[in-house]
Amino acid sequence: MIKVIVDMDKCQHYGQCVYEAPNIFKLNEEDKLEYLATADDSELGNIQAAVDICPMQAIQLIKE
Amino acid sequence: MGGLRTAESLRRTGFEGEITLLGAESEFPYNRPPLSKEYLLNPETKIHFNLNHDTLQSEFVLGDAAVRANLKEQTVSTEQGKTFTFDYLVAATGLRSRSLKFENNLLTKRFSLRTMSDTEKLRTAISSGMKVAILGAGFIGCELAATLTKLGCSVHVIAPEAIPLALALGEDFARVIQRNHEAQGVTFHMNTSVKDLIGEDDIRGVLLGDGTTIDCDILIEAVGSLTNVEWLADNNLDLSNGLLLDHALHAVTPEGSLTHVYGVGDIARFPYAHRQLPARRIEHWNIPIEMAKRVAKDICFQEGLDVADYSPTEVFRPLASFWSDQFDMHILSYGELHLATSTKLLDGDFDGEFVVGYYRDDELVGVAGLGMRGVLNTYRAEISI
Ligand SMILES: Cc1cc2nc3c(=O)[nH]c(=O)nc-3n(C[C@H](O)[C@H](O)[C@H](O)COP(=O)(O)OP(=O)(O)OC[C@H]3O[C@@H](n4cnc5c(N)ncnc54)[C@H](O)[C@@H]3O)c2cc1C
Ligand code: SF4
Repeated sequence: MIKVIVDMDKCQHYGQCVYEAPNIFKLNEEDKLEYLATADDSELGNIQAAVDICPMQAIQLIKE
Repeated sequence: MGGLRTAESLRRTGFEGEITLLGAESEFPYNRPPLSKEYLLNPETKIHFNLNHDTLQSEFVLGDAAVRANLKEQTVSTEQGKTFTFDYLVAATGLRSRSLKFENNLLTKRFSLRTMSDTEKLRTAISSGMKVAILGAGFIGCELAATLTKLGCSVHVIAPEAIPLALALGEDFARVIQRNHEAQGVTFHMNTSVKDLIGEDDIRGVLLGDGTTIDCDILIEAVGSLTNVEWLADNNLDLSNGLLLDHALHAVTPEGSLTHVYGVGDIARFPYAHRQLPARRIEHWNIPIEMAKRVAKDICFQEGLDVADYSPTEVFRPLASFWSDQFDMHILSYGELHLATSTKLLDGDFDGEFVVGYYRDDELVGVAGLGMRGVLNTYRAEISI
């Protein structure tokens, strides 16, 4: 399992993560970020890409 | 940043060889966008990239610049006299600030912004109530105008174009930005340039082309940048505007591409996939990330590793993305707006949030918006570069 944490104080809701890991991140109707706090190992590459691309460096990934 | 991202991508793609990251600055890799924004406001802002040394398994050689590369002998030598040999070289040395020359070329109380230490020097020099003159109304000039206004400075921006950021975003979008800045107290002196500096030791003001003078306590130059490519000279490369690359991001020589030499990030001048236009550089944050992934795959492929879904003839075709925060304006763009021959308001209105489309002939080459991220994102897939 992978744990995903987004620091919502840092997140500016740019939505770049949505394109890297669409199964985990999405922007809701108000353009605010929503995400799943846990993910399957198969999402590792996508989530890693989201961590890299986030302009605010707001995403943290913890492997369990 | 490009260097670090390349090392990370190499490890993720399975590369097991030695990696050395050679950097001119003594800092570990850090994120530049906050330099003109949060980090200037608050020295506590975390700006270094998270490093996972266990997975990175790379040697950092910091505070020592590359001064010469010999691509035939596959060596790089440094300022401090070290020499490294390599099988593959990734050039990711970015840019440095450009500086203007004046007759009265005063240097004290004069700043530019590219590195952490630039921001620290500027932060130390300013205090609330100071008068600041900024030369240049591009992204860095405008972001600095916003941040320094927040810090209580009185800011004057001077630039030769008619509207700040018009060159990057087009006139309609740029007018909104100018109005917003002016409402917060920024003064623009557009269609003009600085003829000379005024003062004896410290800068006291600037003289404009039309003869008017503006008093200032400090001067910031945000007039563009130069590419750090000198260390690559004498290798038969095209270094006329960054490092010229081919479709696989290999350095180009008149005798053909060098498959062991790559360029990444701000210095990389790379060709269009299907447009008959000269190769370009893109100074956006997501470009080194995309290039690093591609370079890592290519190196691993050359090393005979199994790289899923990779073909070395695949044309590199990234979607550039840029954001900028100024006051409470959040600007986000996708694509290459500079290609546009016309623009169109796609959603919203210029008095509030909006999305603008940028077209070359009838093709959408970019979108940019103030707010409205959800709408903006829906156009992403339609952009054709
Ligand atoms: C103030 C500022 C604000 C920005 N804001 C934004 C923004 O809001 N949004 C956005 O999309 N982009 C922004 N950018 C652009 C973005 O930061 C760059 O596109 C990105 O950093 C490019 O990465 P790079 O790896 O090519 O270069 P850099 O990150 O500049 O790294 C180049 C490194 O090479 C080192 N170096 C130079 N010469 C040598 C040498 N001879 N030997 C060894 N090392 C050397 C440098 O010290 C530096 O560490 C901003 C840039 C600046 C300066
Ligand atoms: S990319 Fe980063 S800032 Fe953007 S929505 Fe995702 S977490 Fe937030």
